[in-house]
Amino acid sequence: MRVRNKWLAIFLVMGLTLAACSPSDSSDTTEGATATTEGATATTEGATDTTEGATDTTEGAREIATDIGVDLEAGTITVGFLTDQTGVFSPLVTVVNTGIEAYWANVNANGGVHGLEVVLDFGDTAYNGEQHVQLFEEMKDEVVAFGHSVGSPQTVAITPGLIEQGMLAIPLTWYSGWSDPNYNSSVVPHGTPYCIEAMNSIEYMAGETGLDSPTVAIASIGGDYGLDASDGARLAAEALGLEIVYDGAGAIVAGDPTSYIEVGNAIAEADPDIVYHTGIPWLGWPEVYTQAAITNGLEALWSGASPSWAPNYVSEDSGIRDEIARDMYWGFYLQPWDGDSEGAATVREVMTAAGAPPHDYYGEGFVEGQLLLQALNIAYENGDMTQAGVLAAAKSIESVDYNGLAPSDDYVGEPNEIVQRVVHMMRPDLTSETGSKLVQADYTSPTAAAYEFNGACFLLELG
Amino acid sequence: MTQLIPILAQEGVSIAPAAQALVTGLSLGSIYALLAMGFVIIFKSTRVLNFAHGALATLGAFLVAVFATSWDIPGRWIPSLPEWAAWVSAALIALLVAGLFGMMLERVFIRPMVGEELFAVAIVTLGLDIVLRTILNDFIGVNARPLGDPWGIQLVDLGWVRIAYTEILQLVVTISLVVAMALFFRTRTGVAMRATAFDQEGARAQGIGVGRIFSLSWGIGAVFAGVAGVFLSIHPRGPAGVTQQTAFFAFAAFPAIVVGGLDSIVGAVAGGMIIGLAQAYSGLLPWEFLGTGFGGVVPYIVMLIVLFIRPYGLFGTEEIRRV
Amino acid sequence: MRGRPLLHTTYGSDQALLNTGTKKLLMSLFMLLLLAIPLFAPGTIGEEGSLPGPDFLAAGDWLRLLSTVGIYAIGALGLNILTGMAGQVSLGHAFFMGLGAYTAVVLGAPEGALWGLGLPIWVWLPGAGIVAALVGIAVAPTAMRVRGLYLAIVTLGLVFIGAYLWRNLDFITGGSQSGRSHPQFEFKLWKEEAPLIDFSEDGIWFGVLNLSSEAKTYLLILVLTIAAVLLAKNLHRTRSGRAFMSIRDRDIAAEIMGVNEFKYKTTAFAISSFFAGVAGALLASLVGRTIPETWNLFLSVQFIAIIFIGGIGTVSGVILGTLFVILLPRIVKDFTEWMETVVESGDGIMAGVLDLFISTKPGDFGLINTSAGVAPGLGIDQFNLVIYGLLIIGFLIFEPLGLYGIWIRIRNYWKGWPFTY
Repeated sequence: MRVRNKWLAIFLVMGLTLAACSPSDSSDTTEGATATTEGATATTEGATDTTEGATDTTEGAREIATDIGVDLEAGTITVGFLTDQTGVFSPLVTVVNTGIEAYWANVNANGGVHGLEVVLDFGDTAYNGEQHVQLFEEMKDEVVAFGHSVGSPQTVAITPGLIEQGMLAIPLTWYSGWSDPNYNSSVVPHGTPYCIEAMNSIEYMAGETGLDSPTVAIASIGGDYGLDASDGARLAAEALGLEIVYDGAGAIVAGDPTSYIEVGNAIAEADPDIVYHTGIPWLGWPEVYTQAAITNGLEALWSGASPSWAPNYVSEDSGIRDEIARDMYWGFYLQPWDGDSEGAATVREVMTAAGAPPHDYYGEGFVEGQLLLQALNIAYENGDMTQAGVLAAAKSIESVDYNGLAPSDDYVGEPNEIVQRVVHMMRPDLTSETGSKLVQADYTSPTAAAYEFNGACFLLELG
Repeated sequence: MTQLIPILAQEGVSIAPAAQALVTGLSLGSIYALLAMGFVIIFKSTRVLNFAHGALATLGAFLVAVFATSWDIPGRWIPSLPEWAAWVSAALIALLVAGLFGMMLERVFIRPMVGEELFAVAIVTLGLDIVLRTILNDFIGVNARPLGDPWGIQLVDLGWVRIAYTEILQLVVTISLVVAMALFFRTRTGVAMRATAFDQEGARAQGIGVGRIFSLSWGIGAVFAGVAGVFLSIHPRGPAGVTQQTAFFAFAAFPAIVVGGLDSIVGAVAGGMIIGLAQAYSGLLPWEFLGTGFGGVVPYIVMLIVLFIRPYGLFGTEEIRRV
Repeated sequence: MRGRPLLHTTYGSDQALLNTGTKKLLMSLFMLLLLAIPLFAPGTIGEEGSLPGPDFLAAGDWLRLLSTVGIYAIGALGLNILTGMAGQVSLGHAFFMGLGAYTAVVLGAPEGALWGLGLPIWVWLPGAGIVAALVGIAVAPTAMRVRGLYLAIVTLGLVFIGAYLWRNLDFITGGSQSGRSHPQFEFKLWKEEAPLIDFSEDGIWFGVLNLSSEAKTYLLILVLTIAAVLLAKNLHRTRSGRAFMSIRDRDIAAEIMGVNEFKYKTTAFAISSFFAGVAGALLASLVGRTIPETWNLFLSVQFIAIIFIGGIGTVSGVILGTLFVILLPRIVKDFTEWMETVVESGDGIMAGVLDLFISTKPGDFGLINTSAGVAPGLGIDQFNLVIYGLLIIGFLIFEPLGLYGIWIRIRNYWKGWPFTY
């Protein structure tokens, strides 16, 4: 072998060392919340009863059926998460994960699920549909349920597999199909669906413009996330009698700068008063906004489905912070970081104790956690902690009370009765710690309230 | 979905789409031209198809972000510098470092492949691209990294067209760099580079240090890529900064390179401009059947059309094949 | 004569794929071993029985991995024929795979909101290959007009044009980000309800073998892979194969000798695209659901990497390359998990040494970040990518003949042993 590998070897060693020294992204520590003595992380109605044999590991003490993911001897319950740690939604999802880790650390410190410790297993799908399916296939025989599954199209992709396996997944997406009995035999939704959120936003902004009949432009990326939100915007505009001057639902191709330019130009060309643009903050949303509002000088109010907002739009280095603060609105079902409810206060306490900086999204982790905890407790009490048992337990939940952090989720009744219609309207704030401020709490627009929800707004072919 | 867009200004909206598309096209075109130039300089000297060009562009942008915002060099040492001067000098230093990095890449990874089959070396750059991008992505993080440039979103508003300061800058920088390269090729080193590109063996026989020319061409290529990367990470192409997706823009530059001819620098600039303008104007096409994302394939369609007429690109030299 | 493998006395023996008795025997045993892998799992023979052997190999996810290896091997064999044998550089393999997958889904998926004809597998699988081959024939004339690196970029363009098509033909593909499911592996005679052989459910074959769906799918794909390998190996000794190689080496000289460049380049594209189409259809059905973004440049690059790492131009090299590229990430992942458990148990020098490589929390030092949150170092998937990239570079710089070249070196060393200098 020729002597040409000296430099190569040196470089490789340097490169790998450099990679090892790469900085962590932020000061988010996930080092298990130094548990505050506050046992009540707004937990369930069936309280974790710690008097019931705290180390309840022997089978003789209680008959619990288990198949996958629950190890009574070791005293652990393994919960999986199909999450996005390196993909385009990772900045938001990793914050949610920080919340999840803090929440469950707290729960574990207070006795866990009847003495069983909950172990979290995060799988990174990078918001990639195929990787999502692959990871699901790998993890479905290792975990008892999925604490969350990120992405509407991705979760839809694993729905047939979930049904076949008979296990539970909590979607970290607000696609309206999850409230539709045709789609949700294996998922338990929470929060307000995109299309209803869109109705709220459109009507709120229509009021804010001060015009009698503002015109509306709609744009989004493809897939059920973008199209469901766009459907909602369209329904609202039609119900309010507002003219839709541009309909680009699905016209934006994430990752293709030419489509950003084209859609941005088209939106500006149509000269709307309200723009409902649903996209990905790190893959096209600011680009379309910049092309329309800054390059073309469009004056309008902007909104999109809640994941379209990211705090870094108004960060100190952002060139568009003033414009975004002037134009943007969004609605989210969660109370923000500085919300006034007991639930929000708990989130603040736990996360500050864990050393995490202020952010609006930790609450999502707490909501998911509480939902799952309730299901696990019910499954334990039923004596059936198999995958199917946990799913059945989750499906049997009648309602969950989040102590104001989020509106209570009810699960008994017709879809039209129980679907969530409430959002908190938010706007950017250049001075707040989280970059956002609450402008209207618990808002349900008349259109959203009157909407007959009989099924998914955007019908997705499951086949 | 796409509606009929009139070419001239319409009532209520002051911008004339055709003129605005010209501005956008020149802006896109100058970025493609920079990427293509860097690529062609590398190709002419070392005959390597550099698939890692996107990674080099991201590297340049990332280094500028770090030098200008995180480390504040040289601003921290010369506090009296006005903001724009501090940023420009930081950018220059960062791009110099990017150039040195490019030289080092050539020395370590490409030099051992001298004499090997062309496509094999191209695959090495493919592997290099994967490694570089992955490590860079780790440093960049999942959030976008703003570059902190002093111009921000300021623009010149002429009513019928709006031109961002940065778009003017792009055009000025591109033209300057083209002129600079033309002048460079008249210098001693430049002539040596031309000689190496023309005939490696002959150049060696003349005493030209061919290895050093290789390194230098990679360094220059990396700098050009870095400049393009910077423009991709500021207004209007990248309002949030440099991201993990910045590198993929380089793939749209490959058609520009082919259109111009793989071994022609003039061709690279021409090809870049043609592709940029084609993309910008394709957005004006009113035909609905084109569907979404047609602008992304326009470069490749233009490339196919050009190749059909001239298989070696507009300015490329025809390959003489011997039995 | 016996015991003299390199001495051929007939043309037939020179051309034979397995020209000695030993080779035939060993190959048959190897085939039996491959067929028997699913039987290592407990409970596959009768009620409780199984063959003695490593039972982790027969676990569901390993069988799935091996099925993936088989499919990628079929695709890589196709690319090898085009790039390795005929010398036509192509980065467009992902396009032909997508084409095959979507042809299969149009032919084989049940009728519904999206296009589907509900035809059985013996129509959609070959159909996928044939349609891809036809498009390959249409693309081939560009290889006459442009060559070398220009051709590489033109084929790169195919991938992007494909992405545009798949995104917009949403009545076939299900649309951007959403996608659709692909026909399952099941053998029906026409459109009857219950399939004759169902590969997607666990079941009993031959009365005694209790096979999971992963095992059945693995066997199906194994058979198809063996067929592909035979076809590819055979190609080397046919007229077309020799024509390909002559075009690769010196196409002008070949033309002078009477090798019709146009005809053989078109044939090469056709065969390669056929393999790619079949592989694409199989991959889509194995994964179950694909999105238009699946058929991207990274997929094309994987095949290029496979044939270069394995050893360009050789069939055995392609198989070795596929095994390496597909199994390596899994092995690295398992190895890292093992490292993590050792580090966490904390005892011994091993734990201390390995801790240098792994970081579990912010502030720790390490190359690989095994925690779910933020910590220094590369995530495990990123680490796998870096290894993948370094392997591509490494093989091309140090061993241009790839894994096959390394195998040849080892074999020659032992052939001449103890006179190995």
